[in-house]
Amino acid sequence: MLLNNYLISAWRNIFKHKLFSAINIFGLAIGLAACILIALFVRDELSYDKFWSKADQIYRTHITFSVPGRDPMGMVMTPGPVIHAFKKDFPQIEYASRIARLKPTIIINNQYFVDDISLVDEDFINIFDLEPVTGDLSTALKSLSNIALTEKLAKKYFGTDNAIGKVITIDFDSYKRDYKVAAVIKDMAKNSQVNADALVAIDEPAWKDQDWMFDAWFSTNSHLFFSLNKGSDIKSINSSMPEFIDRNFPKLPFGGSGTKTSDFVYMNAMNIKDLHLKAKGDGEYHEIGDMNTVIIFSTVAILILIIAAINFMNLSTARASSRAKEVSLRKVLGASRKDLIIQFLGESILITALGMIMAIVLVEFALPLYNEILGKNLSIDYASTDLVYVTCLAIFVGLLGGSYPAFILSHFRPSETLKANKSAESNASIKLRSILVIVQFAVSITLFVSTAVVYGQMLYAKNMDLGYDKENILAVKEVYRDIVLKKLPLLVDEIRRMPNAISVTWSNFMPESGNNNNTLVRTGDQAMEDAILIGNREIGYDYFKTYKVPLIAGREYRIERGDKEILTDDLRKGLKYTGSIIVNESALRRLGLGSAENAIGKMVFISKGNPGENLEATYEVIGVVPDIHFDSLKTTIRPEIYDLSPSYGSVISARFSGSSVAFTEQVRKLWEQEIPSIPFNYDFISAAVAKQYNAEQGQATMFAAFSCLAILVACLGLYGLASYTAERRTKEIGIRKVMGASVFDVVKLLIWQFSKPVLIANLIAWPVSFFTMTLWLESFVYRIEGFFILGFCLLAAITALIIAWSTVAGNSMRVARANPIKALRYE
Amino acid sequence: MLKLQDLTKAYRTDEVETVALNNVNIEIETGEFVAIMGPSGCGKSTLLNIIGMLDTPSSGHYFFKDEDVAGYSESQLGVIRKQHIGFIFQSFNLIDELTVAENIELALLYHDIPAAERRERVAAVMDKVGIAHRAKHMPSQLSGGQQQRVAVARAVVGNQSMILADEPTGNLDTAHGQEVMEMLQKLNEEGTTIVMVTHSPSHADYARRTINLLDGHVVTESMRSKI
Repeated sequence: MLLNNYLISAWRNIFKHKLFSAINIFGLAIGLAACILIALFVRDELSYDKFWSKADQIYRTHITFSVPGRDPMGMVMTPGPVIHAFKKDFPQIEYASRIARLKPTIIINNQYFVDDISLVDEDFINIFDLEPVTGDLSTALKSLSNIALTEKLAKKYFGTDNAIGKVITIDFDSYKRDYKVAAVIKDMAKNSQVNADALVAIDEPAWKDQDWMFDAWFSTNSHLFFSLNKGSDIKSINSSMPEFIDRNFPKLPFGGSGTKTSDFVYMNAMNIKDLHLKAKGDGEYHEIGDMNTVIIFSTVAILILIIAAINFMNLSTARASSRAKEVSLRKVLGASRKDLIIQFLGESILITALGMIMAIVLVEFALPLYNEILGKNLSIDYASTDLVYVTCLAIFVGLLGGSYPAFILSHFRPSETLKANKSAESNASIKLRSILVIVQFAVSITLFVSTAVVYGQMLYAKNMDLGYDKENILAVKEVYRDIVLKKLPLLVDEIRRMPNAISVTWSNFMPESGNNNNTLVRTGDQAMEDAILIGNREIGYDYFKTYKVPLIAGREYRIERGDKEILTDDLRKGLKYTGSIIVNESALRRLGLGSAENAIGKMVFISKGNPGENLEATYEVIGVVPDIHFDSLKTTIRPEIYDLSPSYGSVISARFSGSSVAFTEQVRKLWEQEIPSIPFNYDFISAAVAKQYNAEQGQATMFAAFSCLAILVACLGLYGLASYTAERRTKEIGIRKVMGASVFDVVKLLIWQFSKPVLIANLIAWPVSFFTMTLWLESFVYRIEGFFILGFCLLAAITALIIAWSTVAGNSMRVARANPIKALRYE
Repeated sequence: MLKLQDLTKAYRTDEVETVALNNVNIEIETGEFVAIMGPSGCGKSTLLNIIGMLDTPSSGHYFFKDEDVAGYSESQLGVIRKQHIGFIFQSFNLIDELTVAENIELALLYHDIPAAERRERVAAVMDKVGIAHRAKHMPSQLSGGQQQRVAVARAVVGNQSMILADEPTGNLDTAHGQEVMEMLQKLNEEGTTIVMVTHSPSHADYARRTINLLDGHVVTESMRSKI
């Protein structure tokens, strides 16, 4: 049996050359494991929302407001009224539905819950094919007092899937209503940007007093999904978007008469399959991915695989001379070149298969940690086609790495190799090997530098001075609910009285949560249509004291100074009084108020109410604060006003001293006593700030881990290569030693041989990493300087050399110490 | 030049002890040309390696220029070796990746000799052995005789006072063998001490004295009468 003979030969070869086989199998295992892990991640990222039966026809609209003098504000949400105009203007649209996700208080049998409830239009179920479990989904959204629950929530609320007919009370603050469970559906897929746990129909009239939810043209609070009729082209909608905007949106109060609304508002629909990786803008309900990340990680996976395959090739060809005799004998005995190629390819595939088995074990061990880092739930599904893919990958790598050695080995001529035990290696194959080593190290060094830059940028962002002190501030959330707001003064007072409380305040935003509220502001010198759109935050008393922001000029809101909030309803009634306002430095510049000291006491006019009402309130500037990074560092600081809001806030912030646990417990006790119906929900500002880097941190960690693996695999290869080279150069080293070379001379010689490719690799890797990482850094507004990359390049060069040297040194010492006569007697 | 006294060399494997040299006493004067003969396995090469300080004896004394080097360490031996001893091997042992000139220069590379002087000496010695026209060639491009001439040049370029030749003609045809022998003879006449292991009685005739070894013992020593 020829096959049997091949297998025996392959098996024995693996065992005979233990070092070679171990390096090969282990290197391949690491490379393949990295590849599988990345492939799982990439597959998951690419799978988002592909499973809807109408996926090709479903789109979501995005809107961007481009106001002169401000960075464009991109939203993935759409103003509420757009849906009605859409259905009227575009007959191509089959179904359309908004989806607004809220976190109301849910009351069931006197038990309180806080969960995500999605408000949708009736046609939601016609766009998305949800899987009903019980009840009648088709009519569930026809009634305004029905609710459809996922199995997960049904179990949570009622302990059973069969929740049909049960009653849930939901307090939306705007209104409170009893809902009847009309349908239970299967939990929606995780790899979706639509994922919802509970559905109720939008009741527009019920939201009249919070008209920004569904009835304001310049406020975005819901996503708009629609499906196209078969055969319709989205281009026909996207291209007529400017006309649509001018036809339906109210005229903006700025820009003058020569401008159209579409000069400032841009709308575009994106296919649902692209949302996860390509949508850009604020207002996602689920964390999104990034196409660049997918591309980068796919590249890394391919590079690691190439490095592993190169190892394989290099070690096999390096070893070729030792197998020349076997090849020649087989040829003498009648083997054709084809037979030999099959034999060696088979051997490669056998080794790869062993590597693959080990890789799968490694993957299974790594997955829990990997999932934790990425916040995903990835796994290999052995019952599916996954196993086929994995097998194909093994065969592919086996063929990739094995074809060149097979070609080289089968090429030996028996007459030459059997006669003299000459080194059967050609110069070409030695040269190719050095080139491959250079490629490996160039890739490893590039990965090293990239990792260092990614990490450096992350550390920079994390440690950047935000303009406020984020440590030791407890943030109490859920304050925006009506029941809590009624007790806001009491809560603030009680917390302030706690022995460890230093300062307490409230605001309508949480630092780092993103704030897109904007208001038109002008000075007395500017006409109304020249008013400037300025970011608007609402704060309580002692805000800047609590966040330790020193004012540049003036003072902040103090209860005893009688600072007033101007109510829109008062303006509508014609009541006139002057309010107080605090501005940041950017606003100072945009409004042209001069120096901070001069600005104090000046009057500004701030528009209120809805566009078209032309309501303006008069404010006196009482304080100027520096530009503060309350938003992500990915955006520039906008010009901002800080408006006093004595009776509204969404977060209470309390600066404390001493133990955070003890303080939190005190506040929790107070909350549970005062507001038993809503679970206590808190965060620390420092933790919330750190959280916004979670995704980046996870990806940076992943990137670093894979870079290390790539370098490790490359080093394994170098080690194997060094040992074979040392073996090949035994004679030469013997001669040199007889000629008087010391051990040190020989070690130097061998180390230099391996330093050369590493140095050349550096020359290739430096410009590549400098270019790509400079490009990458450009996506950050606040970023590390370019010369840091050069520093990282130097560091990478030194590290690569040290790694290469320590890899090679052991072998070199052994060879250098050997008695030369053994080497020279070989003949 | 050198004196071996009660010299013994034994190789130990796990179970067996093989005695390669047993109680050998040999004295070689400066300027002598000595041939060592004997059947395969008699210890010729071991003897040459010990004389060449590539190996150390198990017991006995080795006086090199009145200095007992028997107990010296490898690096101590290395220092003496590179100053005084040149080697010629049956299989030439040239480095395949280096040119003729570079191969010869190798013997000077590990001495502190400036590059200019090295070049001069390499050029001079290449003239002497008649391979100057092949200076830039690789060993694989030369005939066996030419390769051995390069090896001879390498052995003497450092002004070594003694050359150890291990079957220098073993891989050569008669004509080339003779050529190399004549070269060695010429070097000997110029004052270089030569110790040569050979199987060929006719080549042994070039030597002034022949030592016959059998199973690690010196059996006969014969002086050549005709001069």
